[in-house]
Amino acid sequence: MPEREKLIEIKDLQITFGSGRKKFVAVDHVNIDIYKGETFSLVGESGSGKTTIGRAITRINPVSAGEILFKGRRISGKISKELDLEVIKKCQMIFQDPMASLNERAKVDYIISEGLINHHLYKDEDDRKRKVEYALREVGLLPEFASRFPHEFSGGQRQRIGIARALIMEPEFVVADEPISALDVSIRAQVLNLLNRLKVSRGLTYLFIAHDLSVVRFISDRIAVIHKGRIVELAEAEELFLHPLHPYTKALLSAVPIPDPEMEKKKQLVVYDPSVHDYSTDKPVWEEILPGHFIYGNKKELEQYRREIQA
Amino acid sequence: MAKEPILSAKDVEIQFSLRGKILKAIRRCSLDLYEGETLAIVGESGSGKSVFTKSFLGMLDANGSITGGTIMYEGTDISKYTAEKDWLTIRGKKISMVMQDPMTSLNPLKKIGKQIQESIELNQGIKGEAARKLAIEMLKKVGIPDAERRANQYPHEFSGGMRQRVVIAIAVACRPQILICDEPTTALDVTIQAQILDLIRALQRELNMTVIYITHDLGVVANVADRVAVMYAGQIVEYGMVNEIFYDAWHPYTWALLSSLPQLGVKGEDLPTIDGTPPNLFYEVKGDAFAPRNQQALAIDFEEEPPFFDVSETHKAKTWYLDPRAPKIEQPASIKKLREQMRK
Repeated sequence: MPEREKLIEIKDLQITFGSGRKKFVAVDHVNIDIYKGETFSLVGESGSGKTTIGRAITRINPVSAGEILFKGRRISGKISKELDLEVIKKCQMIFQDPMASLNERAKVDYIISEGLINHHLYKDEDDRKRKVEYALREVGLLPEFASRFPHEFSGGQRQRIGIARALIMEPEFVVADEPISALDVSIRAQVLNLLNRLKVSRGLTYLFIAHDLSVVRFISDRIAVIHKGRIVELAEAEELFLHPLHPYTKALLSAVPIPDPEMEKKKQLVVYDPSVHDYSTDKPVWEEILPGHFIYGNKKELEQYRREIQA
Repeated sequence: MAKEPILSAKDVEIQFSLRGKILKAIRRCSLDLYEGETLAIVGESGSGKSVFTKSFLGMLDANGSITGGTIMYEGTDISKYTAEKDWLTIRGKKISMVMQDPMTSLNPLKKIGKQIQESIELNQGIKGEAARKLAIEMLKKVGIPDAERRANQYPHEFSGGMRQRVVIAIAVACRPQILICDEPTTALDVTIQAQILDLIRALQRELNMTVIYITHDLGVVANVADRVAVMYAGQIVEYGMVNEIFYDAWHPYTWALLSSLPQLGVKGEDLPTIDGTPPNLFYEVKGDAFAPRNQQALAIDFEEEPPFFDVSETHKAKTWYLDPRAPKIEQPASIKKLREQMRK
């Protein structure tokens, strides 16, 4: 495989909240590279730190150790004003709940162009209007919606407004934080299709954050599984589904309901017990067990995983 | 089926008056519920699945009322109940409900034990210490460790999954005959979801309950249901045993629901979507409500409402496709794919 361009590099990332006795380590020792043009998914249960990582990339949460690189340049910690502006433009975020993430008292026109207004990224009023119209069309909404308020829209339409707001900044990298969890089944498919189409037409790279593995399989190129702030396994999407190795990944996979009554009723539920790992003497490492398939474990476990692969 | 239904709703109509206009939320909807079974009701938001089941407990909002049809339960037509006193003989005692969001369905100012105790005192006439003991027993039953201590805590000290267990404990404390679970796991994580579904199943067996699930997650349906009813625009459009719905569906709306699942998607291709929006129920719906969104709709779909046609003894679908006079229409490829998977 030819060397692909790394858009985002996360090195030994640690994020903590609070200080002193109340200090809480939310994310620890996270190493991820996200390549240009791919959809990279982060999967884990609530409280595992997946959103925190997404927010750290968009500079919402400060980083306490390690660094984040965007196109080879450090964007974590103190950076210059110009770079900050570039990150704001190039890294955008789509939020989970379209009911809560739009300003109820602003018109769609303002909501979508707020980023442009804040940073004076338009020539004149006509240019701004044109950009809003273009963004609306691109997400499948009509330009006349610009003069309406968010409460006039359905959940799926609101999520499209959220996507238009991210697109208008012409980003290269989009963090999609559970963009479809709050949506209805019939609308999920529409939003997923839209995200996929934009990926191709705009050359976007996604960090897709989700807790539902079934959706992730359809949309992503690579998947990382995160548990309690640590990435425990990372692999290509199909590889992860066919050969899950880490017990937590297996538990997560078994918990996903399959829409097939025969298979679902035969399914064995795997429960993850973190005490199976004995890391007191034998320290765990982050190892590439197969090309492109990373796993977190100590020597003994890695050997067992290797045996599993051969079997 | 030869068995007698324990609850039988016939041609139920429910209307809401909103800003002087009448909204027909449920349009002549019928449903039979048999003892010990698990029935899942699926449909998109606004299809009326919650409203329909809430009418079994007299929990409609003040501006809504049952305007037609009957709901027969234990020999009486409960749809005619108007006084709160009548409903109290059923709600919580015979039929109870688990709501979607465990964050908002508990009282944040009361201790957990007290909240369960309250339900027992109100519905079973057991008072004081005895009720408290029973409450702690219920907590143990729903799998909360260290129940004595936990009973003295407040809801904010519980996680989402634990709170949902408490809500279930309150609902089943009086050993209801029918338990209605309104999206019990949508607000929860997948791992927790699996545990809660297992818990409900275990309780169902132990207390011999009949369970109605309301959900839009077809994965959950496949996991729990014996029978499935698909709802669209205030009507049940298809119902049958779970395998019949998943592998041999006939209503175009059921097809659309099943094929838009990301699990069946092929990478790099668009997922099939359901275009358009559900009909506005402020107006009279003419013909098949799904016809405007159905690309293969027949001419008659726009004219006349289809009756139910039998697919099998237990499986009925409300679509003109099954009329012998209709042109031959094939099930879409994704439905056939599901059926082939089963044969393997």
